[in-house]
Amino acid sequence: MRRFASDRDFRAGFTAMLPVCIGTVPFGLVCGVGAAAAGASALGALGLSAIVFSGAAQILAVQLLAAGSPLAVIVLTCFVAGLRFLIYSAAMAPYLRPLPPRWQKGLAFLLTDQAFAASVRRFDAGGDPRAGGLFFLGGGFALWSSWQLTNLAGYFVGNLIPAAWSLEFAVPLCFIALVAPHFRSYPTITAALVSAFAVIAFAGLPMKLNLIVAGLTGIVAGTLADFARERWMPR
Amino acid sequence: MDATLKLWAVILIVGALNYLSRLSFIALFARRQVPPLLGRAFRYVPAAMLTALIVPMVVTLPAGAVGPALPKIVAALVAGCVAFATHSQVKTLGCGMVTLWALQALAQRFG
Repeated sequence: MRRFASDRDFRAGFTAMLPVCIGTVPFGLVCGVGAAAAGASALGALGLSAIVFSGAAQILAVQLLAAGSPLAVIVLTCFVAGLRFLIYSAAMAPYLRPLPPRWQKGLAFLLTDQAFAASVRRFDAGGDPRAGGLFFLGGGFALWSSWQLTNLAGYFVGNLIPAAWSLEFAVPLCFIALVAPHFRSYPTITAALVSAFAVIAFAGLPMKLNLIVAGLTGIVAGTLADFARERWMPR
Repeated sequence: MDATLKLWAVILIVGALNYLSRLSFIALFARRQVPPLLGRAFRYVPAAMLTALIVPMVVTLPAGAVGPALPKIVAALVAGCVAFATHSQVKTLGCGMVTLWALQALAQRFG
């Protein structure tokens, strides 16, 4: 790590990610509180944040664990919620292609909603792929480190936060910050509206299976709307 | 199943699956073309999945509880507009939380 710490691009990525890290502090605290509430040990909570490294998957996992859901359901729900990583992976692939495979495998671990949003702009600016990779590595390292700190803080002292602050509302706000900027095309808005409708309509399903149903229904609706737009609204 | 064992099974399996999703197009299918239909469907995964995650956290789901959920719904809509206009995570978070606190204070005083 010391080898990278003095690199200009690594430091630029690290610094660029700091405001994003601040934005994820409440989310990390909520994840830590959730892990404690689900009865995880401190090591278990750290394992969850360090290895899974995805707030959405962590929240779902601890809620389903606390509810006593079967392992298969927990794994399936977290996997479907994590399908968006496929998109980020596909979008990042062209930028990482010039890098050696060892780099690709390392950087892939740090791919998150936030790192993706922050880095694509930088990669689009062009330049040396290694510099872009180091920028991504610096940002991913900053986010991963701050995520462990906020998760641990939430685990140990999260219960001191007054309930009146409604800190858990920071979680949907983080996702809103990610999704709202995409609402610029009809198919995307269709996908979101149908998914929102489905997740409420199927709220009666046990073990949060409505999430999977709503996600898949929304994807199909978005794809159909995309075909419809192409067919009836030629540019 | 023992609770500790189950937690670690979740950590390792979900961790591995998430990592494979992240690695997928960067390394595993780097040389393969994405089928066109799949590529089209892919574009709508983040919007559909993130919305499915957001809505139950904003709308209190056991129906009939529209009253208590209203401040959260309004705060979420305000946050959505801020996010759309600014693309800033910190501003979205700040405006959303402040709106929620203000509405909750109002509801407590007049509700």
